[in-house]
Amino acid sequence: MYRNKKNGIIGIVITIIILVLLVVFTNNNVNQISFIENICNIFVMPVQNGFTYLKNKISGNDSFFQNIDSLKNENQELKRKNSEMEQSLRELEILKAENDTLKEYVNLKDKYKDYETIPADVINRDISNYSSTIVINVGSNDGIKEEMTVIADSGLVGHVISVTDTTAKVQTIVDTASAVTSNISTTDDTIIVQGTLDSKQELKATFIPTDAVVLQGDSVETSGIGGIYPKGIHIGTIKEVINTNNITDRYAVVETAVNFTKLNTVLVITN
Amino acid sequence: MKKVLAIFILIISFFIIYFLQSNIFTWFTIAGVMPNLIVIFILFVGLFTGKKLGLILGIILGFYIDIIIGRQIGISGIMLGLIGLAGEYLDKNFSKESRLTIVIMIISATLVFEVGCYIFNTMTLNMSIEIFSFVKTLLIEILYNIIITIIIYPIMQRLGHILEETFKTRTILTRYF
Repeated sequence: MYRNKKNGIIGIVITIIILVLLVVFTNNNVNQISFIENICNIFVMPVQNGFTYLKNKISGNDSFFQNIDSLKNENQELKRKNSEMEQSLRELEILKAENDTLKEYVNLKDKYKDYETIPADVINRDISNYSSTIVINVGSNDGIKEEMTVIADSGLVGHVISVTDTTAKVQTIVDTASAVTSNISTTDDTIIVQGTLDSKQELKATFIPTDAVVLQGDSVETSGIGGIYPKGIHIGTIKEVINTNNITDRYAVVETAVNFTKLNTVLVITN
Repeated sequence: MKKVLAIFILIISFFIIYFLQSNIFTWFTIAGVMPNLIVIFILFVGLFTGKKLGLILGIILGFYIDIIIGRQIGISGIMLGLIGLAGEYLDKNFSKESRLTIVIMIISATLVFEVGCYIFNTMTLNMSIEIFSFVKTLLIEILYNIIITIIIYPIMQRLGHILEETFKTRTILTRYF
């Protein structure tokens, strides 16, 4: 009986102590026990973080499976929009290129409006290093004939040497077999400009009259002599005058106005 | 049938090479000088298929080039025909298995073709003769051809052996027995 009584008192005391402690702790400011929280956190939080990560992952996957259909639809819609935009972009690019070409044609026509001309594109270039002919996409069906003059935006290109129904072969002035009678515009002296093997941008001006004064930067134009090229078409400018011991042998280097490596659009003079 | 197919493929290859030459290599140049892929192609045909096809393809394709872009018709056909013809004789006397001999053959073929064309054009087209410029351009062209040959040599060998099996009958080399 005594033993039971003693045990009961101890139990009551312990319960009271726990109660008091509970009251004290719970009524105190939380900040004052943060060090205990911190200690607990050190052990608990990593595990907690791991579990949270896993939980999020699983619940995220859940939503992924739930949303897959809507995402698919959205993706398809975006793809369709993207292809539509690409399509319109391509159309715009084509229009832009077309616009540029037409502008080029208009500029060319204005420049040489006294001549009747047919515009053409260069469709083939010479495959040899020793000649320079081009093929253009107009032929006898468009009224092109042999020996017609071909010009470009900035000056003389050459003349037609053969014609098919839809194409024409043009010998350019930089071809080694080409020789054009021309005038130096400032002095009106007649010279002959020939193509050279050295460069596709330069011509060699020979037969310079002994009394002629040739200066660097002088403009060279066709003279109209020879029957192929009309008078007054710009060929290029004098780049350099090479004087030799004998004045009759002197020659000049003429830089062509037309860039033959980038030549894409030309005009054929038909009258 | 196999031969007809091979010839057809060769002609298609010619057009591909022609377009490469006239479009890509007109701007992909060394000092403004293009290589001459056509000479390499015809020599390849002559070496691996024999003189008959080399000669015929050389002449036909040469004339085709002259008609399409040349200033006068004939010389490319004749010169390419000669290179095709020479292919078989070169094959009999030299080994195709060595890169060096192939390179030497390409050098000679380019040299013969360009010099032949230049002399013919100078005589017929009233051109002024520019020896120095010509030699300079020719040397760069030969160099370019050598580089291309070295690069495409493995493909040349592989395709060449297929062609050789199609066109040339197997001969027993009696001199070794």
